[in-house]
Amino acid sequence: MASITKQPTRSLQTVLDPRGQPTAEIQPLSLAPRLDSLDGKTVYLVDIGFGGGWEFLQEAAAWLQRNIASVRTELRHKKGNMFLDDPELFAEIAERGDAVIFGVGG
Amino acid sequence: MASARFADFAATDSQNHGMNLRFSFPPYPLVGRPREVLRQYAEGRDPVTGRPLMPQVVDALTRPLTEEEKNPKPGRGAPRPRLLNPDTEENLQRLFLENDWTDGLPIVMPTEERVAHMLTGTAADPNEVVGRMTITTLQEKLEYTVEKVAVNAVMAGAGPEHLPVILALAASQEGSMPSSTTSFGRMAFVNGPIREEIGMNCGLGALSPFNHANAVIGRAWTLMTINLGDSRLGETFMGSTGNPLNYNNMFFAENEERSVWEPFHVRRGFKKEESAVTIFRGWSAINSMGAAGCCRPAQEEMLLILQAFPAVSGSITFVMDPLVAKHLKEQGFQTPRQLSEWISANFKMPAGQFFGSDLGYSFGNPLARDGVEPFSTWWKLPPETMITPYFRPELIDSVVVGGETQALWFTTDMVWSQTISIDRWRPKTGVYQKDEREIRRREARRKRHAAALKASGYEY
Repeated sequence: MASITKQPTRSLQTVLDPRGQPTAEIQPLSLAPRLDSLDGKTVYLVDIGFGGGWEFLQEAAAWLQRNIASVRTELRHKKGNMFLDDPELFAEIAERGDAVIFGVGG
Repeated sequence: MASARFADFAATDSQNHGMNLRFSFPPYPLVGRPREVLRQYAEGRDPVTGRPLMPQVVDALTRPLTEEEKNPKPGRGAPRPRLLNPDTEENLQRLFLENDWTDGLPIVMPTEERVAHMLTGTAADPNEVVGRMTITTLQEKLEYTVEKVAVNAVMAGAGPEHLPVILALAASQEGSMPSSTTSFGRMAFVNGPIREEIGMNCGLGALSPFNHANAVIGRAWTLMTINLGDSRLGETFMGSTGNPLNYNNMFFAENEERSVWEPFHVRRGFKKEESAVTIFRGWSAINSMGAAGCCRPAQEEMLLILQAFPAVSGSITFVMDPLVAKHLKEQGFQTPRQLSEWISANFKMPAGQFFGSDLGYSFGNPLARDGVEPFSTWWKLPPETMITPYFRPELIDSVVVGGETQALWFTTDMVWSQTISIDRWRPKTGVYQKDEREIRRREARRKRHAAALKASGYEY
């Protein structure tokens, strides 16, 4: 059993902070430069895999096509489940795409 | 883009990833909504900003970056001091509750004196780094030392004798309640001599709140997950209903003495005389609610109960009374592995049922799309075709616990994660001061149990 020292209720106690220490393992990154417009550009829409995301992104791609006639859209599934990286797809986007929309979280 | 329910989480999450991402939010939820509704979402407004959604997305892709977006500052917090400001017990209890540093129950205050006493339970240096933990998938982890683990052990009501097990759990660097909206649970159990040395219960009512060691070690894992794994309700923890397993994490000891099978840790490469704690990940457990072998063999009843699980992980774990293990051995399963192979070969489910669940959609479908077998083949089958989703026997486990008053078992969707050495964290002497009164109490209970079994005519 833990030994619990009895102390009067009103006396002051010094206790230890129970929380872990923040680390410096995440380094800040700049966002990618923005485009002047989407005219004539290729926009990838990448479904990360949560339910309903693919169907919603189909509608989002259709909206872009209806409203920005010259935009090209590429709707893609990310490889694997939502927690996994997909370096091949991201390399393809860097080479062939101008912008990317990731979704849909949750 | 993220659905609007996760606007707060998305902001914190992106900062923790070191980027000021530009989010837009369609209404929540998207899953299960008719196509027409999703079209209205795309043509409608972002409920968080009130602006038209898709024009906002276009703006996010074309509006020049701000200085802060070009040069983001680290989102991490400042180092935390070792000691909190002195205060009364009453005020400190309130401080811990208001800061969500507890599980909602009163705690033992981690005074310097109590933490120092706790640290006598290990030979490890208080400043030794035990690990890093986060309950999220990729957010920045918090680092913790032996002393930080001891602080949370004190809060849980543990004694120094429990610390090696708690340190082994901490060394797993695995929280007991992940961030997931699906509300995960965890299960953990101890094998080896330390079970007896610290008075754990592996027999009658071992999974119920009747044993000090089982209770405080399981609770300590929850408190460590909160404080060392950075579990904050609505900020990092998003489990929709939560999970009652999170209170104690189904923490027990295996009943090695009454099991007809080899102890679990031995099957994982440890020696019988070594002590180890094993961690399982999953969501739920279903009680068999009846005796094995009453009307049909337990293994056949297991197949029926398994229909309740989505089976996508391909893993299942049976937590069974010694009577069930004995019954299964009489059925011809000389080892748990033989039972695993039988379940693997004999459990069948329609392919449409397998891919038709939310988990099937999220985890089975990507594997099928990526050409991973057997998922790719199953995906092409008519929905009514029967498949064997537990096709890897090594993902089917059994563990024995209980007091032999009923031949029942729990079927769980738990999957083995780690088996970790406890002995690494023992005190220098390696042994504990014996509590003679407690030993007498346990011995008396054991004798009563053995006498009851013998008097019942049961082959003891």
